[in-house]
Amino acid sequence: MTEALVPNLIETGRAAVADAANWLDAATAGLRAALAPEGKVDPARLAREQTAAHALAWAATVVESLRQMQGWAERLDEAGELGETERLLYQIALGEYLAQLGGGIPMSQGEMARPADLGTTADGLDTPAIATLARQGNTPAARRRLVALMQAQEGAPTFGRTGLDEELEMIRDQFRRFTEEKVAPHAHDWHLADALIPMELVHEMAEMGVFGLTIPEEHGGFGLSKAAMCVVSEELSRGWIGVGSLGTRSEIAAELILGGGTEAQKEKWLPRIASGEILPTAVFTEPNTGSDLGSLATRAMREGDTWRITGNKTWITHAARASLMTVLARTDPESRNWRGLSMFLAEKTPGTDADPFPDPGITGGEIPVLGYRGMKEYELAFDGFPVPAENLLGEVEGQGFKQLMRTFESARIQTAGRAIGVAQSALDVALRYAQERKQFGQPLIAFPRVFSKLAMMAVEIMVARQLTYFSAREKDQGRRCDLEAGMAKLLGARVAWAAADNAVQIHGGNGFATEYPVSRILCDARILNIFEGAAEIQAQVIARRLLESPSP
Amino acid sequence: MKVLVPIKRVIDYNVKVRVKADGSGVDLANVKMSMNPFDEIAVEEAIRLKEAGKAEEVVVVSIGVPKAQETLRTALAMGADRAILIVAGEDVHQDIEPLAVAKILARVIEEEGPGLVIMGKQAIDNDMNATGQMLAGLMGWPQATFASKLEVEDGKATVTREVDGGLQTIRVKLPAVVTTDLRLNEPRYASLPNIMKAKRKPLDQKSVADLGIDIAPRLEVLETREPEARKAGVKVADVHELVEKLKEAGVI
Repeated sequence: MTEALVPNLIETGRAAVADAANWLDAATAGLRAALAPEGKVDPARLAREQTAAHALAWAATVVESLRQMQGWAERLDEAGELGETERLLYQIALGEYLAQLGGGIPMSQGEMARPADLGTTADGLDTPAIATLARQGNTPAARRRLVALMQAQEGAPTFGRTGLDEELEMIRDQFRRFTEEKVAPHAHDWHLADALIPMELVHEMAEMGVFGLTIPEEHGGFGLSKAAMCVVSEELSRGWIGVGSLGTRSEIAAELILGGGTEAQKEKWLPRIASGEILPTAVFTEPNTGSDLGSLATRAMREGDTWRITGNKTWITHAARASLMTVLARTDPESRNWRGLSMFLAEKTPGTDADPFPDPGITGGEIPVLGYRGMKEYELAFDGFPVPAENLLGEVEGQGFKQLMRTFESARIQTAGRAIGVAQSALDVALRYAQERKQFGQPLIAFPRVFSKLAMMAVEIMVARQLTYFSAREKDQGRRCDLEAGMAKLLGARVAWAAADNAVQIHGGNGFATEYPVSRILCDARILNIFEGAAEIQAQVIARRLLESPSP
Repeated sequence: MKVLVPIKRVIDYNVKVRVKADGSGVDLANVKMSMNPFDEIAVEEAIRLKEAGKAEEVVVVSIGVPKAQETLRTALAMGADRAILIVAGEDVHQDIEPLAVAKILARVIEEEGPGLVIMGKQAIDNDMNATGQMLAGLMGWPQATFASKLEVEDGKATVTREVDGGLQTIRVKLPAVVTTDLRLNEPRYASLPNIMKAKRKPLDQKSVADLGIDIAPRLEVLETREPEARKAGVKVADVHELVEKLKEAGVI
């Protein structure tokens, strides 16, 4: 052990996290009184005080991160597995996040959430435990030592034990190897060529079980946990986010059908989704309707036993090659909100490069994008596209939005996993470059501003992991976890962007050359803060939940 | 025919090995461990024999620490049918030697009666390259080491061996011990469905004491040292200086 370690770390951490939680509870109560009098959030007040509400969401995310890091460290300690690497990750995370609570949490590069934004002060954050960790937790000495340990462990699947069980780590090992051999060597070429992920790889992923991961065994899947889904998403995304995202659409479609489908629909679709025979695509967003899905305009009109879909959709990932579209459309023309929306399982013919949308009633155009390539993005125009009546999800109208809402938890947990994978790939390339590149007679990694960046990447990746695994565990226990999943996604996206940005910085000019993979990682990381609930929407949803429900 | 595949849990091949401060051995604390890569090739080959209808059952056996269970589970997830763990010692790098392993394996063979043993030619930790040969000797079986190709037909195994400067093909009568070289095959990944199936496969645990075999070490490790760090190079101005330096070094 080194002098960089804070003495009585676990006990100090426990006290500090409790103090932080108390401070947050008081701040939440204050905002609740202001924005949710009588227990219900007042929309006008929330809109006016968005900054305060989002500051609360971020502060709560930080406190939950602290709580999860504390739990992780205590569990490892009990098992005798809290090594020096883990101690340093934990200590630096606590030191940094506790200091941010009082000093300012970066919601984005230009926006800080400070106690004053929450309508409070840092009083209550000046306890002995918090002061000790804020002062001694995240020091250059601790970061230097952590990076020295990381260098010694280079090649290990993770820096620091994740605390996951043996089976999940076996899954990580297998998918890491798969990714290193089948994905990583080609990802950058595929990205530069703006190519689709080769079907051969899609088939291999299907054989590995990627598309039926969490689908129950009775429906042809493998009945694995959401935690397993996180690990698989992480490792595939570590190779390339596109590959790590292929399963997202299958996960969303399967969740929709499992949650809202009839028995016949489950029987018909789930085994084929699980086997990868069907590649689904999610068709929700419209040119004028992104986060505000309730106002979408695409219509579905019934003609006998057929629904006819008409309208424009956009940001439809992997649309051309998909054979099943989960389409959200308005079935009640009189409605103006989410109540008139229904979900359809619309089959389509997979297209080719020459003819991407061969079916009548649907046309599409590609949207060129910076990153997140491999599946391609499309805008689609539906003109009377036919869907048999039996393919209305659950064979009920007006449930589409609710059915979709139920998939958000899973999709966000999966996206948090993808974010961790992208962040980890940024760390992987940055760590290598920082050791190989020499300036002023030394490898870059010898400079504090370089090793500190690497240390913070490793620390925040572990924090994002613990928050994500926590939300996955909650989901696996059958508990409501929209709050936790939203936090994991919110934090994960910021962590991935910070890691990618810092990895480019470590590469200097070379990082700006498209030749270097880190340039792709930067582009790939950028999407994480936008899709599956933009950071601002995520904060809004989290804030609303916090203001509504008194914490247990 | 039953195929027995002994596997060893070793430091993961990606991980930089560190020597304990006192030079007494390799530091295993908090180090990632996984299946010896040559053993992975052996497991793969055994599963292929089964898939080809040449074998009925693949049994994997590991001798080592209780945590070697994880390694056995990986083999089961790849497709082996059954696993046996024989707990022996805390540190397989030091506590147990090839001869002891061979003796234990000979006892397992008596109990299991395999028609073929496929095992890694060596473990990447101690690089002994001895256990397979010793096992064949103890059993009085033929051995075919460093296999880069294996065919089983009519109670015989035809094995192509990688030898200095070329390939040698030999035929051995079964039962026999075959040890695997790097180019025999490319091991598969354990898929999620197979990882789930592996949970339900049997894994028996025994201890060396149960077998009543003497595994007292006969070898003594005097010292373990890290390889010497590479010395810094010298920059030369031109070809002339390069030739001078090479002459000084006695290379030309």
